[in-house]
Amino acid sequence: MKPLCAVMSVFAIAACNRGPASTATGGRPTVALVLKTLNHPFFVDMRRGAQEAADRLGVTLQVQAAEREIDVEKQMQIVENMIQTGIQALAITPSGSREVVSVLVKANKAKIPIVVVDTRLDPDTAAASGVRTETFVGSDNYEGGKLAGEYLVKATGGTARIGVLEGIPGHETGDSRLRGFRDTVKLAPGMSIVASQPANWERDQGFNVFQNMLQAHPDIDAVFACSDLMALGALEAIAAAGRTGAIRVVGFDALDDAKKAIAAGAMAASVAQFPAEMGRAAVESAVRVIHGEPVPRDVKVPLELVTRNTLK
Amino acid sequence: MKQIGRQFGTLVGLLALCAVLWALTPYFLTVSNLLNVVEQTSINAIVAVGMTFVIVSGGIDLSVGSIVALSGVVLGTALQSAHALPVSLLLAFATGVACGLTNGALISWGSLPPFIVTLGTMSIARGAALLYTEGRPVSGFGPGFRSLATGRIGFVPAPVILMAAVYLAANFVLTHTTFGRYVYAIGGNEEATRLSGVAVRFHKTMMYGVSGLTSAVAAVILTARLNSAQPIAGIMYELDAIAATVIGGTSLMGGEGTLGGTLVGALIMGVLRNGLNLLGVSSFLQQIVIGGVIVVAVLLDTVLKRKR
Repeated sequence: MKPLCAVMSVFAIAACNRGPASTATGGRPTVALVLKTLNHPFFVDMRRGAQEAADRLGVTLQVQAAEREIDVEKQMQIVENMIQTGIQALAITPSGSREVVSVLVKANKAKIPIVVVDTRLDPDTAAASGVRTETFVGSDNYEGGKLAGEYLVKATGGTARIGVLEGIPGHETGDSRLRGFRDTVKLAPGMSIVASQPANWERDQGFNVFQNMLQAHPDIDAVFACSDLMALGALEAIAAAGRTGAIRVVGFDALDDAKKAIAAGAMAASVAQFPAEMGRAAVESAVRVIHGEPVPRDVKVPLELVTRNTLK
Repeated sequence: MKQIGRQFGTLVGLLALCAVLWALTPYFLTVSNLLNVVEQTSINAIVAVGMTFVIVSGGIDLSVGSIVALSGVVLGTALQSAHALPVSLLLAFATGVACGLTNGALISWGSLPPFIVTLGTMSIARGAALLYTEGRPVSGFGPGFRSLATGRIGFVPAPVILMAAVYLAANFVLTHTTFGRYVYAIGGNEEATRLSGVAVRFHKTMMYGVSGLTSAVAAVILTARLNSAQPIAGIMYELDAIAATVIGGTSLMGGEGTLGGTLVGALIMGVLRNGLNLLGVSSFLQQIVIGGVIVVAVLLDTVLKRKR
C-alpha cells in the first residue's frame, strides 16, 4: 500500500494547493489554456501573459501541456480530460494543425467555445470536420518570414549564399515562415538558398545540422532559422568553426538569449513575436465569448524585427 | 497462485487510486470520463501486449514506438492511394510483423542482445517512416476508416472494443497454447527449454513478431484517432509500454507476468494522467508523479518477492 500512500499524499497536496477555485462551480468561470509544451521560453511567456489577464478579469486559468511539443496525441488526451471538468472556454495552441481538429469537435459537442492561439488549424481539415472556433489569436508567420527575408536582402546587398534551418516538417508555423522567407529572397537574383534542412525546433539539432551544412557548403554566409533555438544552435556551430560574425544569422522569436547574441554582434537579427501578448489576448477573447460578447475572427498580434539598432 | 495474488494487488492499487480521485474531484467518476480514460489507455495497452510476450520471455523491445510510426505511415499512404480498407490494414500488419520478425531473427540466430537489436530497429524504422513520407504527415481519411477510433458500439468507443478483443485473443494464446507455455519456459530458463527439445529460436522470433503485430494494431487506432499518420508518432511509446508491463507485475528477469496485470498497469498510468489533468496539477509535477509510481510499484514487487 506504500505507493498508494505516496500517490494519495501528492494528490492531497495538489488538491490543497488549488483550493476551492479548482472547481468550476465556485462562481468564477474557468478557462483552459492547452499549450504545445511548457519547456520552451515562448510558451512560458505566453502562460505568464495569460495568467496576468486571468487574474485581472477574475477567471480561473488552467494551464496544461504535453511533455513533448510534437506529442499531439497527448495534447488531445489533455483536451478530452479538460472537457470532463466542465471548463467554460478552451484556448489551445495546436501541436498538429490537422490532428487536433477531431478533439476540438468534441469540445464543440460539449458546447465549450474554442480560441485557437499561435498556430492555425489546417483550413481543409477544419472545413471537412465542420469544427467551430470563435477566433484566432496569433501573428502572421508568413509576414514574419518575409520580414526576415527582406532584412537579409538589404543587409547583404542582395548577394548571399543561404543555409536554412527548418522546424518540424508539416507544422503550419514553420512552413509559413519558410514560405514567406523563400518567396521574398527568390525575388533577389543574387540570393540563393544552398541548403535547407529540418532541425526540429531544437537547439542541439540546430548545432549539428548547421555544422554538417557548413561542411558541405563552407561558403554559406547567411542563415535563416525558423526559430531562435535553432539559430542559437547554429551560432554555436559557427563559433566552433571560428567564424563568429562572418555569417549573418537571422532567427525567429527574439528570445532573451538571442537578443544577447544580437547585442554582442554574434547574431544579426530576429523576428520578435509577443507571446505574452498572445496569452493575454487569448484569455481576453475567451472571457468575451463566455460573456456572450462578439470577438473578431482574427486577433492579430504584431511582429517586429529586432536588430542591434533597435536594441539600443 | 502467486501470480494471481500479485495481479490482485495491482488491481487493488488501481481501485484505490480511483477511490482517491473520486474523493478529490467530482469529474472523475462519471461514465463519460471513465470511457474517456479507457479509450485513452487503449493504444498503450495494446502496445504493451506484445511487450508482455517479449519481457516474459526474458527480452525487451525498444522498437515498438518506431514500428507504430512505420506501420501507421504505410497504412496512411495505402489508404490515400485508394487501396481498399482491408488491403491497407493488411499492409500495416505485414509491416509491423516484418519488423518484429526481423528483430526476433537477429536476436535468435544472430545471438545478439535484444536491447541492441531493437535499439537499432528503433532508429531504422523511424528513419524509414520519415523517408517514406519525406517527413510529412499523411492526413485526411474516409469516415469508414476513422470510425475505428471515433465509432461506438452502444456507448462503448471502438478502440475499447478493439483493445478487449486483442487482450482476449492474446490471453488465449499465452495461457492456452503450447506457444504460450514456451514464452514462460524460455523466460524462466532458456537453456533448459532448448535442451528439452523446444525450437527456442523459432519461438523467440515469433514472440517479437507478436510485438510487431500489436504495435501495428495500435498504429491503426492512432492513425484513425489523429486522422493523420505521422512519421514522428509513437516516440517514447516503448517506455510507456514497458512501464505498464512492469507495473502490472511482469518481471524484467523473465518467466513471470500476466496480460491481466499489464492491462491493469496500463490503466493505472491512464487513470493517473487523467486524474492529474482533472485536478489541474502542473504538467511538470505530473511527470514526477508518474515516474514515482513506476519506481515504487516495482520496488514494492521486489520487496514482496524477497519476503516470500
